[in-house]
Amino acid sequence: MSDLTSIAPRQSASPLHLVWSRDGLLPLFLLLLVLPPMIGGFWLYSLSLCFANSIGVLAVTLLLRFGGEVSIGHSVFVAAGAYTVAIMEKQFGLSLFAGLPIAMVIGVALGLLLAYPSRRLSGVYLAVTTMAMALALPEIILHAGSVAGGFEGLYVSGRLLPGVDKSLQHYYVALVVLVGVVLALDRLRQSRQGLALLMARSHPAAADAFGITRDWARLSVMGLSGGLAALSGSVLAFASSTVSPNSFTLWSSIFLLVGSVVSVYGLSLARALLGGLFLTLVPQVLAGAGNWIPVLYGASLLAVVLSGHYAPRLKALWRRP
Amino acid sequence: MMALAEIGRDLSSLVWGGLISGCLYAFGALGLVMVFKCSRVVNFSHGNAAGLAAFLVFGFSGGWFLSLSWGQAVLLAVSVSVMVAVVSYAVIAPLVFESDLTSTIVTLGIGLILQGAIQLLFGSDIVNLDLPIPHFSTRILGLRITGYDLAILVTTIVFIGGLFLIIDRTRLGIAFRAVSSNPLAAEVCGLSMRSVHLFAWVAAALLGVIAALLIVPTTFLSSTTVPFFMLNAFAAAVVGGFSSLPGAALGGIAVGILVNLFTFYVSPEFDNTFLLGVILLTLNLFPNGLLQRRVGSRV
Repeated sequence: MSDLTSIAPRQSASPLHLVWSRDGLLPLFLLLLVLPPMIGGFWLYSLSLCFANSIGVLAVTLLLRFGGEVSIGHSVFVAAGAYTVAIMEKQFGLSLFAGLPIAMVIGVALGLLLAYPSRRLSGVYLAVTTMAMALALPEIILHAGSVAGGFEGLYVSGRLLPGVDKSLQHYYVALVVLVGVVLALDRLRQSRQGLALLMARSHPAAADAFGITRDWARLSVMGLSGGLAALSGSVLAFASSTVSPNSFTLWSSIFLLVGSVVSVYGLSLARALLGGLFLTLVPQVLAGAGNWIPVLYGASLLAVVLSGHYAPRLKALWRRP
Repeated sequence: MMALAEIGRDLSSLVWGGLISGCLYAFGALGLVMVFKCSRVVNFSHGNAAGLAAFLVFGFSGGWFLSLSWGQAVLLAVSVSVMVAVVSYAVIAPLVFESDLTSTIVTLGIGLILQGAIQLLFGSDIVNLDLPIPHFSTRILGLRITGYDLAILVTTIVFIGGLFLIIDRTRLGIAFRAVSSNPLAAEVCGLSMRSVHLFAWVAAALLGVIAALLIVPTTFLSSTTVPFFMLNAFAAAVVGGFSSLPGAALGGIAVGILVNLFTFYVSPEFDNTFLLGVILLTLNLFPNGLLQRRVGSRV
């Protein structure tokens, strides 16, 4: 992943490349804008969830690309965002407009808190910490009392504007937030801060000389990623109208990572959608054969990683006369 | 006076119980640390592989597939586990020297496949799997000691002692230590990295199988029992510094005792949260584990 070197705009001829790159954002966004009248309620619902999941995938990808670290606990941030929106609505009567920023702040704070102890250590420790937090989360939710709704979870009314069809609201809010996130990440990558983060990852010593410490970089990446995941959770709660503890397990965290790998760690809209679609559609297609889901996810993960390793070599072999 | 004596009795039996379960965490942690030490990969499939082995023992001895004796079933399950370890390493081998991040992600993929295999083969029901050990219990100095406790202690002493002997005394062990402390120099000296890695993966798999078989009688066996049990092993590895074998063994025992005390005195429902706290606290106070001094890096 040569993020530092690939910032300069690249000339690309192939139309396929256009779809995957950041230039594909506008056409894809327009397509998704006009899509709802053409599809049924089921697809409208699935796509809304897919947009929310895509944001979660982007959060994991951000951590991988900018921080060089794996997390298998992002469901914790997603849950924090989802529960914040639900509790804000239930306890204080606040709508998503107010719940969303609060959720993000909580996500950032949680990310910083959990990354702080391992900020100086190898990435291994962050991965293990995230695993522990993913396993601790269900206990905490179940014993948080009536505020969190226990096993049954909470209901989110999910209506921002009166009079507009609810599922359309879900769809468009999720879409707008997702596109906003993609644009923000694009800005981040070209900004001074983004470059500093990338440099701290790939050339720690040089970054140190410029006054960018690795501790700071790792903390801020985890904070950003946690905030993004919380955002994904709040959109997820809004779009699905409900939050419940069994959607935030260790497995759902690992699945977010699988989504990130399947999207080939991409930060563009199309890539994020690919990861989100994978996470949303596979369980629906395989609803009758749930035990195959982990096998399929594991196999796709291996297939993407190994083809990333072998494809260039095979290509070189092919080109050689 | 009475109250004090009672606290003492509670405490000693809690510490004893913690020591016994700590031995099991030590088995798990040693496997994680061995793999990490030489190949810099955190093996997240460790628990899933061990869980599969426990289920296979159940399948081969309980009449699910076959009705073998317990010993034969264990032998068969162990050979399958060794095969799984070899295949897992074969998948990771090309990536190991490229990026430890990618190889760690790959272990998650392998873990998912193994988890799916358990669910496909055995469903998600709870099964019972017992050990063929005599059921008796005696009291020594007020402690209730069962046959199960003694079996675990003996197994721990035999296998962990044997492991340390191999690593301390044999050529293989020396090669393992060389590759762990300086891979480049070891390779220059003509050591085969691959065979050392393979040794670590297979040994780790065996330790995992032992842990899984010993843990199951205290609880029940479901598709997530062993993977979730491994969180204790991860915590133990962190407490021990993640790259020290004696640290992992001691970390296991420390975590076992702490968890037991926490469960009794505070709450039995927040085990994992407590482990998260232990991990975070250890990383803050002893970043390189209890046994090692702090090492910094210079620019």
